[in-house]
Amino acid sequence: MSFFNRNEKPGDAPQPKAQPAQPQANNAAPKPEPPRQVPAPILKPNAAPTPSAFTPTPTPASPPTPSFTSKAGAPMASVISKALKITGELESTEDIQIDGQIEGDVRGVGVKIGQNAKVKGTVYGDEVELAGTIEGRIESKKVILTGTARMTGDIVHQDIKIESGAYVSGNLKPELNKADSKPVSKPAVAAPSPVSATTAH
Amino acid sequence: MNGKFMLTSARRSPAQRPGPSAVPGEAQTPPSFLGPGVGIQGALEIDGELVVAGYVRGHIAAVRLVIAAGGYVEGDVVARDVVIAGKLSGRVFAPTVSIEAGAEVEGRIFHTNLIVAQGAHVDGRMPWRPVSYFETLDHLPEIRP
Repeated sequence: MSFFNRNEKPGDAPQPKAQPAQPQANNAAPKPEPPRQVPAPILKPNAAPTPSAFTPTPTPASPPTPSFTSKAGAPMASVISKALKITGELESTEDIQIDGQIEGDVRGVGVKIGQNAKVKGTVYGDEVELAGTIEGRIESKKVILTGTARMTGDIVHQDIKIESGAYVSGNLKPELNKADSKPVSKPAVAAPSPVSATTAH
Repeated sequence: MNGKFMLTSARRSPAQRPGPSAVPGEAQTPPSFLGPGVGIQGALEIDGELVVAGYVRGHIAAVRLVIAAGGYVEGDVVARDVVIAGKLSGRVFAPTVSIEAGAEVEGRIFHTNLIVAQGAHVDGRMPWRPVSYFETLDHLPEIRP
């Protein structure tokens, strides 16, 4: 008894039995094919709603939500892994690492696009580092194309670095000099038109 | 059992992890993580684990989906294993569903095994289905009013 349990800490005893025998995740067992229904484009709130504040007593049977800080030592950075494919729009107020596939626009702050990643759409950001493929457009203050980058489309930038080996097909436009509000489309409000002085009275 | 092992061991703190930092699968397929500042609208498809701490509106297909506290998913979810600690509004199709304390769930949860922790907030139906239902789930059923 003690021999087998020597590695267990007392707290480990009530290990969650919440994991019944189940088909192995990595097997290519029949997986439900998702229908490609993209919901109607409605503006999304960017901030996730905060959960209710009350804290119920934790039950020993329910394992705590895994902490996301220990994975590879990286602290809570958003990662789109290579197994993930997104069809739609992505918006982020924090740095993001993309290794998967995205069909749609990406709006971020610091955007790193990994070597095997593929983005079809426009990538907006303050700093975009591309090592993978973009078919579309980049609009970013700072752009770095590494040696493995493959960029098809225009790049709007303030500051760009292209390493040897990068493939670029498109125009480079050194714009974005105005403050930092460029990535977002300009406010649709028309300039204050001369107020109709001819208002009939 | 690699994937399973990874999932269970990832929940432990590193100190409790047995052996020399085992977890071989972890390096190969790190889970995708969508942080609190990330919002996605559209369809997500992943052959692995997805952790949502941000906002997703749309359809998610994954092997394992974790909606972390603070995360919000609006739409349908198809997976083998779903853990909800955040907020979900929509339908879930998964053989194994675990709703943690503090979670807020609204909609339908099609499941075979279901765990609801004390303190979870659940509003909706939870139809049981045999495992075979999920294996043959090609098209999601229509939403009936």
